Amino acid sequence: MSAPPLQIGDNLKPYSRDWLLSEQPTSRHQARLGRAYVIWRRFSANRLALAGLGIIVLLVLVAIFADVLAPHNPVQGDLMNARLLAPGTSGYLLGTDDQGRDILSRLIHGSRLTLFVVVLVAIIAAPVGLIIGTVSGYAGGWVDAVLMRITDIFLAFPKLVLALALVAALGPGIENAVLAIAVTSWPPYARIARAETMTFRNSEFISAVKLMGASPFRIVFRHVMPLCLSSLIVRVTLDMAGIILTAAGLGFLGLGAQPPLPEWGAMIASGRRFILDQWWVAAMPGAAILIVSLGFNLLGDGLRDALDPKEAGQ
Amino acid sequence: MLHSLRHSVRVLSTGVALSIMLVAAPQAFAATPADTLVEGFAIDDIITIDPGEAFELSTAEVTANSYSKLVMLDPADTSKVVGDLAASWTVSDDGMTYTFKLKPDLKFASGGPLTAEDVAFSFERAVKLDKSPAFLITQFGITGDNVTEKAKASAPDTFTFTVDKPYAPSFVLNVLTATVASVVEKAVVMQHAKAMTPSDDYKYDTDFGNEWMKTGFAGSGPYKVLAWRANEAVIMEANPNYYGEAPKLKRVIYRHMKESSGQRLALENGDIDVARNLEPGDVDAVSKKEGLSVTSAPKGTVYYFSLNQKNENLAKPEVIEAFKYLVDYDAIGATLIKGIGEIHQTFLPKGQLGALSDNPYKLDVAKAKELLEKAGLKDGFTVSMDVRNTQPVTGIAESVQQTLAQAGIKLEIIPGDGKQTLTKYRARTHDIYIGQWGSDYFDPNSNAETFTVNPDNSDEGKNKTLAWRNAWDVPKELSDAGKGALLEKDAAKRVAIYEDLQKKVLAQSPFVIVFQQTEVAGYSSKLKDYKLGPSFDTNFVYPVSKE
Repeated sequence: MSAPPLQIGDNLKPYSRDWLLSEQPTSRHQARLGRAYVIWRRFSANRLALAGLGIIVLLVLVAIFADVLAPHNPVQGDLMNARLLAPGTSGYLLGTDDQGRDILSRLIHGSRLTLFVVVLVAIIAAPVGLIIGTVSGYAGGWVDAVLMRITDIFLAFPKLVLALALVAALGPGIENAVLAIAVTSWPPYARIARAETMTFRNSEFISAVKLMGASPFRIVFRHVMPLCLSSLIVRVTLDMAGIILTAAGLGFLGLGAQPPLPEWGAMIASGRRFILDQWWVAAMPGAAILIVSLGFNLLGDGLRDALDPKEAGQ
Repeated sequence: MLHSLRHSVRVLSTGVALSIMLVAAPQAFAATPADTLVEGFAIDDIITIDPGEAFELSTAEVTANSYSKLVMLDPADTSKVVGDLAASWTVSDDGMTYTFKLKPDLKFASGGPLTAEDVAFSFERAVKLDKSPAFLITQFGITGDNVTEKAKASAPDTFTFTVDKPYAPSFVLNVLTATVASVVEKAVVMQHAKAMTPSDDYKYDTDFGNEWMKTGFAGSGPYKVLAWRANEAVIMEANPNYYGEAPKLKRVIYRHMKESSGQRLALENGDIDVARNLEPGDVDAVSKKEGLSVTSAPKGTVYYFSLNQKNENLAKPEVIEAFKYLVDYDAIGATLIKGIGEIHQTFLPKGQLGALSDNPYKLDVAKAKELLEKAGLKDGFTVSMDVRNTQPVTGIAESVQQTLAQAGIKLEIIPGDGKQTLTKYRARTHDIYIGQWGSDYFDPNSNAETFTVNPDNSDEGKNKTLAWRNAWDVPKELSDAGKGALLEKDAAKRVAIYEDLQKKVLAQSPFVIVFQQTEVAGYSSKLKDYKLGPSFDTNFVYPVSKE
């Protein structure tokens, strides 16, 4: 009766640090939370990654509360009285553009477009890449050959050039830009998923599932895909900076968002006419793109370190 | 991670070091060759350099410097016409037959002789090809069937031209200064002619060299065109066989440059001698810079946007009027077009006979909303505008987009290059088109005709005026007023007719005219005698020399 309590899972206070780090979790729930906690600890030890996360959280908040935060209307300017004002002029923190619109308000509203593009591309491209990659990796044979040759074809073109061609064919507009970027960005995901799948394909747990009579469909979707997810998430996060740049590039060339939408790339394009005398018109959206791309890159870097299965085993 | 970080730091520092070296290095000063004039010019609207087909502003400058016409505007006083190929001319007593006597020993750039036969052929070709500018000649009652009779060589050095009505002679001569009356070399053109299968649309078995002439050259002007490469360059070389005063510079190159800031940088660095599409901010900067100068000339060109009457919303008279109240003329005049134009709302540019310069419309959103409500469009509607992606039209389109939004009209801007937007406009498949109109010749009839004449409003209409392009079924009294003015010999009465016509067109037409252009060019002070003319086909480069 007076023996000290044993340090096993069911005696610990739920959700405490020890409970999360317990070597003998008593439920799946506890095991999952424990693993997430470990990942978070590893992630949060990386200051730069935290800074990246902070930038992205800030971006999301700005996008959500754009209507409250923006001091002016992003599409209605005051051409007569407020054209090309320098940053800091009363009421216009970051200055105004050639139509007399407040640049800060346009950047704030533009964050929505940026998120819209990034999220949509990720939602479209990542699952497509994942499915193609895992199916081709697991099936092997001619399925693999056909799918990988298609991937090769897409990889053979420079991303931006292919996106340009697609938008030119589909017509300019932000939806078409999203589609074009998505079409050009799935092949690397397929490659990664395939490589991961090949490493699991002949492992014992897959053989065990097979012996239990699971269909190939079930094996791919329930057992292979979840294992490919972490590397895919890292890759997608790292790619987001590239997606933002491609979207901005299309906007810059007049093929992305159309006026008066405050898309950052299009804002740079309209500001480059004044770059010699009114530098801020192009520089402000440029800085916004820089910061957000940096945020995604830092976040992706941190995630890669945190999710790396080799380190997880230590 | 650490390794990759160190690597990127290394790359970054190398990059920084390199860029510091670049900035610190003394700037190499580029210069254009001493015998060559290089102009930075947005030439994306050139779709052909065949004078029988070309109807674009940039092309007018190229053809004006490379082809000759019977008569030309006196560069010193544009209200007068002087002989170019023609030494003299007479008008018959009934005012219908014009006889031109050519100068002796005229030659084409190729060295071949230029005779009245070539002049007659050029007229026949333009009329039979029946391209956009053909109406300039066919308006004199000339058709493919009678052109060989009405425009013929009565002797090797005599050309006679017969019109169908006793027009004012100055009107006929003014029209003959247009690009379409340029003389092409028959032998060269026909050598490159392609056989055609006659059809209902095109009755002749040859294309009169039209396909070859799109990029080819068969003229006799001070310069010969060596090459035109779309969206790249036009290259011209001095014509050794030119009958007039020889051009001072050996070569002229128009480099396609779209951006004003790019042109300004190139001009400042000495990469080009003339920058042709400077925007207000850059004009200011260039005029203040040592070694550079600015010249300007008011042009017979108005910038407008027009509402295609095939769109049922845009066809409502109240909507048309509402659009005229939904342009912030004052702000546009004070900012976007400062130095390159003046607000102007009537269809005759200032400087032409009878031009009115009152601008009755102002931005008035409340009034426009009232009108839209009357039209049953209280909640507004969505409409698209085709915009050539150059300034100032893009800026104006965006400004109009904002003011329209205040009245609930959602404007979608469809950007394109000059070729795309023009092709769509000419096919009448646009909703709203924004662009410019330059008079074809210095006579009020040029604009009166294009804005108020549309005899056949079907898609097959042959007279492709601006009224036709926007499917505006012009009220008969308006078309007739313009035609009456044409035969009116009393100048004061003619002015009165045009003034009344402008007021009516201003009120009723689907054209929202915003401003009249002042063309500005920034040029290196090394150039001598660089001047802009009063129209696009009088921007001559042959008097220019270089120090």
